Amino acid sequence: MSVEKQKALTLSLTGDVFTGEKFGNYLWIFPLIVGFTVWEAVTRAGLVPSSRLPTFSSVLVVFFASIQSEAFLLRIGHSFLNLICGLFLAFSVALPLAFVAGSRNRFDLTLTPIVMLFGALPDLSFLPLLVMWFGPGSVAAVIMASLAGFFPIYFTVREGTKNIPRELFDVTAIFKSDRLSTFTKMVLPAISPHMFSGLRLAYDFAWEIIIAIEIATRVAGIGNFIDSNVASGSLQNGFAAILAIAIVAIVVDRTFFGSLESWTRKWA
Amino acid sequence: MENHVELDNVSKFYDTGRRLHALHEVSFGVEQGEFVSIVGPSGCGKSTLLKIIAGLDRPSSGQVKFRGGVICGPHSKISLVFQAFGLFPWRTVLENVEYGLEMQKAPKEERRSQAMEYLGMVGLVGYEHMYPKQLSGGMRQRVGIARALAVEPEVVLMDEAFSAIDEVTAEVLRDEVAEIHKQTGKTFVLVTHNLSEAIELADKVVVLSSRPAKVKKIMPISLERPRDRTHAVFVHMHRDILHLLKEELENTFIRHKLKGISELQSIHDIEANSPTESKQEEKKPLVKT
Repeated sequence: MSVEKQKALTLSLTGDVFTGEKFGNYLWIFPLIVGFTVWEAVTRAGLVPSSRLPTFSSVLVVFFASIQSEAFLLRIGHSFLNLICGLFLAFSVALPLAFVAGSRNRFDLTLTPIVMLFGALPDLSFLPLLVMWFGPGSVAAVIMASLAGFFPIYFTVREGTKNIPRELFDVTAIFKSDRLSTFTKMVLPAISPHMFSGLRLAYDFAWEIIIAIEIATRVAGIGNFIDSNVASGSLQNGFAAILAIAIVAIVVDRTFFGSLESWTRKWA
Repeated sequence: MENHVELDNVSKFYDTGRRLHALHEVSFGVEQGEFVSIVGPSGCGKSTLLKIIAGLDRPSSGQVKFRGGVICGPHSKISLVFQAFGLFPWRTVLENVEYGLEMQKAPKEERRSQAMEYLGMVGLVGYEHMYPKQLSGGMRQRVGIARALAVEPEVVLMDEAFSAIDEVTAEVLRDEVAEIHKQTGKTFVLVTHNLSEAIELADKVVVLSSRPAKVKKIMPISLERPRDRTHAVFVHMHRDILHLLKEELENTFIRHKLKGISELQSIHDIEANSPTESKQEEKKPLVKT
């Protein structure tokens, strides 16, 4: 996959319209306002029963109350921590493997077909086994998140490594760079545009997986919170939790990945 | 006088599928401060030869000596200018030039001042904080040249260093390289397929045969510098070398009959670079059918 294609794929999943002129950067707020207004109007008019859809204003009230509650924030923190641990695990296993696969053809031919085979399986199919082995807790969640994050990181880093021009290795050799500085000062920056795309995809996939696990196996976390609240009819709490996840996911995406990508955009 | 760089019966075979004989017992010497151009038919192994001198590749037999010692890997006093520039796109101009010094663990201030000095030499002061993508091809190669010089090598190798640049810029850059050679007195070895370029810059031109490459002829060039491409001796020399290379390619044709299509193309490349006078020369038919 080319860098452009990969970028397009990442962007189609995360959106990246935050460039261009200043006013243009905030146009997206209007459809949002329209959407929430329609929601509010429809529920207020009683067109949809409140047991199915609470009013937007009541969701907001519950949301602002919830984010002041320590228990609520801890649940989000718990999910987020599982996600970060999973991604960290995925990254530290996938990066070296993918680098070797990208640079040594024999290793690539040995490992990559197996990785593809596992990648083709729906990740969640492993969930019952993981729960049986490790119990319905953070361990299972972290492993699942790392599985989901492994594939995008592996394939993007492998591709990035293959795309390093041969000449750059000659440059490091001519100037007598040792192995460590070749890796840190040449390979890592050279693959970083691919690697950041991979990480961003992994982050998105891992959120899906974390929430799915929490709902399916009652692992403590925000997914589980949504599930139990919706089941007991307290829809405002459910919506407030969804809103909170959306905000965390988007803020991390914009700040962390946004700053990584603005670095690569300077030179790539 | 002892040669600065000496090639002693350098041969190279590749074993990828079928055995490929790239270089056959290549021997010649390069004196200190000398500018040597290596020319040969396309794909004859010129770049392989340069890589071996650079220590990036090993000869299958024979050896390359630098100051009398056998080269068995990159040497800190031998530097290389790359055909496609070989710049790190994530580093600014200054950081790229500093790279070699960084690998030698030079202190930061020294690195900076030395890099700035060589950026001045290639006329890039004011561009030091730009990224390579913001520069034209010619400017990128200037960065490549500054980077090669910044480590203060004794020998500067150039691998088709002007071939990825537009002709007018290349012309200017060649003059500057000639000037740098004159000023610094460093030894230069240039691999090129451009005969005029080879003659214009060099003290001697090594003509290689087609694969497996052997030294076909070594032509000393005593023309006064700066050199005029329309000078009768220059034109004569150009014609002689062109003739040698054509002879090589014709031999290849006879050996390979119709397989020679790609070589035919390379003759056109060489002729496209000839000064006008030699083009008026009567062209012999290349393939006798």
